[in-house]
Amino acid sequence: MSGELFAFLVLALLAILGGILMLNLTKVIHMLLSLVLTFLAIAGLYVLLSAEFVAIAQVLIYSGAITIIMIFGIMLTRHNDTQKTKGNRTRNMVVGAGVVLFFFTMYFSINQVSFGDQATSLHVENTKQIGIELYSKYIIPFELMSVVLLVSLVGAIILAKRDDEEEAEQK
Amino acid sequence: MADLFTYQNSYLVVVIFLALGILLPIVALSLGRLLRPNKPTEQKRTTYESGIDPFQDARVQFNARYYIFALMFVIFDVETIFLYPWAVAYEELGVFALIEMLIFVVMLLIGLIYAWKKKVLRWI
Repeated sequence: MSGELFAFLVLALLAILGGILMLNLTKVIHMLLSLVLTFLAIAGLYVLLSAEFVAIAQVLIYSGAITIIMIFGIMLTRHNDTQKTKGNRTRNMVVGAGVVLFFFTMYFSINQVSFGDQATSLHVENTKQIGIELYSKYIIPFELMSVVLLVSLVGAIILAKRDDEEEAEQK
Repeated sequence: MADLFTYQNSYLVVVIFLALGILLPIVALSLGRLLRPNKPTEQKRTTYESGIDPFQDARVQFNARYYIFALMFVIFDVETIFLYPWAVAYEELGVFALIEMLIFVVMLLIGLIYAWKKKVLRWI
């Protein structure tokens, strides 16, 4: 077994473990931390795929910023609640059958796909390659991105300010 | 191909550092557990809060206002991520990319000014 395959197996297992823990843990903060484990494992997978920049972006944006936003979201709600799931045998059977079916469909469809030759020069100055592609070929999507960010910023402010005004009226 | 293997092998150092970082607190704390005397009393078990008895639950419900700071942090974090490839490839891209980036930054600056005008940035 090559080192790359071993690293892939460990990282994939960590990612799945994080997902399973997130579904099974009862406290929301613990769920969030297991989600961070999944994000970090996915960042490791990006490193394996020679996408260093995407890996760093994954760590910075997902396990950094998105997690903080989720923590804030949790802090705004009643976060002392613990979730208790009730077992339902027939539903579990149906879901299990669906999962197995999905696995086999994906397994057989992925087996036949050919991805062409493996790219071997992606790791050479990865960030620079992305920069050149992004700012010469994909300018319009990039500028659209800034508009999307602006819209999300303004939208968030409008929503939050309305909440504040309602609170002020109640007082 | 050999180049790719060099790239992958260089990440072994990262793996070693990661393993050290995870192991260090575990080993230090479990060794400390073995070495230290353990005589807990009711007084020792209370949370230390500058000599004041702890009250209420620490996990209170936050004001919705703080959520805006988190949201703005995420948006400007995404903006910063876009600056990195631009800065690295700047030599190849030249003036046109500079103008692109200026448009991008000005767009988000409008958002920041809007937030400022709406008094979102004020910390109560």
